[in-house]
Amino acid sequence: MYFALTDEQRALAETVRDYLADRFDLTAVRAVFEDAAGDGHPAELWKAFGEQGWLAALVPEDNDGLGLGLVDAQVLARAFGAGAVPGPWLPTVLAGEAVRLAGSAAQRAAVLGPLAAGELVATVALRAPGGAFDASGVGVTAGADARLTGTASPVEYPAAARVVVVAATEPDGGVGLYLVEPTGPGVTVTAHESYDGTTRLGALTLAGAAAERLPGSSAAVLADLNRRGAVLAAADLVGIARSTLTRTVEYDKTRVQFGRAVGSFQAIKHALADLHVAVLMAEHAALYAAHAVDLALPDAELAVAVAKAKAGDAAERATGAMIQYHGGIGYTWEHEAHFFYKRAKRLLGSFGDVGQHLDRIAAPGAVLATAAVRQAQRAQRVQTSRGGTRLSAPP
Amino acid sequence: MDLTFTPQEEKFRSELRGWLDANIPETWKDLRFWRGISDDEGFELRRDWERRKYEAGFAGIAWPTEYGGRGGTPGMKAIYDEEMALARAPQSANGLGLTFLAPTVMAIGTDQQKRDIIGPMLRNDVIWCQGFSEPGAGSDLAALRTSGVLDGDEYVVNGQKIWTTNAMHGDKLFTLVRTEPGSQAHRGISMLLIDMHQPGVETRPLRQISGASEFGEVFFTDARVKASDCLGGIGNGWKTAMLLLSFERGASGISQYTNYRRGYDEIAAAARKLGRDTDPTLRRELASRLVELECLRYHAMHVLTQVEQGRDLGSESSITKLQWSEAYQKLFETFDHLLGLDGVVAAPVDGLDLASLQFEAFWTRSVTIWGGSSQVQRNIVAERVLGLPR
Repeated sequence: MYFALTDEQRALAETVRDYLADRFDLTAVRAVFEDAAGDGHPAELWKAFGEQGWLAALVPEDNDGLGLGLVDAQVLARAFGAGAVPGPWLPTVLAGEAVRLAGSAAQRAAVLGPLAAGELVATVALRAPGGAFDASGVGVTAGADARLTGTASPVEYPAAARVVVVAATEPDGGVGLYLVEPTGPGVTVTAHESYDGTTRLGALTLAGAAAERLPGSSAAVLADLNRRGAVLAAADLVGIARSTLTRTVEYDKTRVQFGRAVGSFQAIKHALADLHVAVLMAEHAALYAAHAVDLALPDAELAVAVAKAKAGDAAERATGAMIQYHGGIGYTWEHEAHFFYKRAKRLLGSFGDVGQHLDRIAAPGAVLATAAVRQAQRAQRVQTSRGGTRLSAPP
Repeated sequence: MDLTFTPQEEKFRSELRGWLDANIPETWKDLRFWRGISDDEGFELRRDWERRKYEAGFAGIAWPTEYGGRGGTPGMKAIYDEEMALARAPQSANGLGLTFLAPTVMAIGTDQQKRDIIGPMLRNDVIWCQGFSEPGAGSDLAALRTSGVLDGDEYVVNGQKIWTTNAMHGDKLFTLVRTEPGSQAHRGISMLLIDMHQPGVETRPLRQISGASEFGEVFFTDARVKASDCLGGIGNGWKTAMLLLSFERGASGISQYTNYRRGYDEIAAAARKLGRDTDPTLRRELASRLVELECLRYHAMHVLTQVEQGRDLGSESSITKLQWSEAYQKLFETFDHLLGLDGVVAAPVDGLDLASLQFEAFWTRSVTIWGGSSQVQRNIVAERVLGLPR
């Protein structure tokens, strides 16, 4: 039994932390946050992402990547969340995953190498405004000639991306994933004003735009991609939650009111203790979900829903607590609390919000599984000896 | 990450499972069986069963063989905890002794104490009770007043203990006693090992909100105990008690998960039978209970990893306790939400006998109090983990 990060994974987290402390602290985040008209994509930072291999984690070694797993990627996502780091890391990595999972050899060669090296910014456009993060929420349709029409929004960094992975409903009712160049004819990128200045969001509108299909794509691959997105978003949220809790604890150790450190009052102590437990559980859940997806464990789907729901809840509470337990100063624009609060708000909704994931857990055959299904799960668990329990009913 | 057990550990699992399959009567798996017999009968059944389990080699799983244990790995202990819960094995008759007293004796007991205490405990020849809480010393344990006055080579003990598990069935009591007259707080306390079968010791059951009596009261009126029957030395009782309580960290998370997960499945099944499984609010509530239970399972793997790596768990047990007790209690609040008014009727609801779950729902009110209340645990987490000032 080894449920923990390896020494290498811990070192990776430390490398990111050290780099951010030296080169991209919250003052640098503020510059990006407040420059609403800017591209939100600092060139120096992105160069470092490429040089350090932070974009190569999930790219196979055959495509000049590091061939690591989602457990390693969630280490990175967690560290970026802790630093409220701007830039198109998550959408680029996820676009790479789409190509890795469903692309042809030629597509993989064309996209993954440059992507791993930091030479290619990419993004994903998987849902219509208001849509769910699954096949039902796709707002783009593909014609018989593979031309795409429809809208996806919000899309992260659509203006910076040179390639977009677009989910589209196909004439046969299935779902395919397509590569689209955002500067091509029939493609319009509209920037959104966003409250979260640690990213840039926009809408992608397609009117008969030319696209290249990823031949291995399907509704199942879209579901897989959304699962991976949910795990990385959960990890970012976990990083936000831990970072905001730590900052709040440090502040409340020294902030004096009524002649004592406010952190000595039980009303605050108990709230922060409960948060620590919640954040720790969210950390476990993100780690487990990443591992479950990496190994395709029988309970991977449940694990992802648990992780996203738990991380979203922990981050929402922790960022709210950061404002509350800093008192008035936490509510000011000058304070950094709102970077985390707004980033968490965005990620809470990304790849399914808490309610959506709870509904998934409660879906027929899942939580309400019959005793017979549970028995089968138990037998399977013993067989695999993974310690996981399968939740979704067998097809 | 590697969430597998070793082949040796899995072999242990199948041996244990085989034995449990052959040695737990089907009737025992229904809680109604236990509630249909007297407290004394139930206790004797459990006591005999546990003795047979010991004779089959399934006791003291991770204890050294020199103490009659199996010399197993922490992984085997986790497997044991899980399998016992899966098989619905009876609750241990000697749980407090096995979990707390035995490892303390192994760590700091005299050679004589090691010989006299551990073997008879494993064989269930001696049932141990814990005498810590008093009417005026609950969360504030150091306020205890039970006194011991030296008379020759014996202490004469007077006072009262409360919330004593198995008080009506116990043979001996590891007891915190103020042996230095006039001492305050943590000083002047000793852990005395008192024989309960003597005229100066009287026990009474405590009736709980569920109607059952897992706990009792113990009254000492000039009870006598040899000064040599002291664990950890006279005046060192507080230190001994803290060491003893630290053994809770063995992390029972996996057995809690397995038990509560079954409760969850039964509640979900009841929701289906009662046609409430389509209620969107209840569905989300149930799902969020499962989220907390799954987190408990991950946490149990985390703790087991720390134990296997030989890391100091620090105040981890407070985190574990908060997670399982709060998740368990909330799960049964959802059960109450499911039943509504029907929940206060003991008769079957729509032909569904839910008495065992209703009974368990009352029990969950106790788990956030005993073993360190949630409020005490939050103080520990805030001060010792987060470093907030006292």
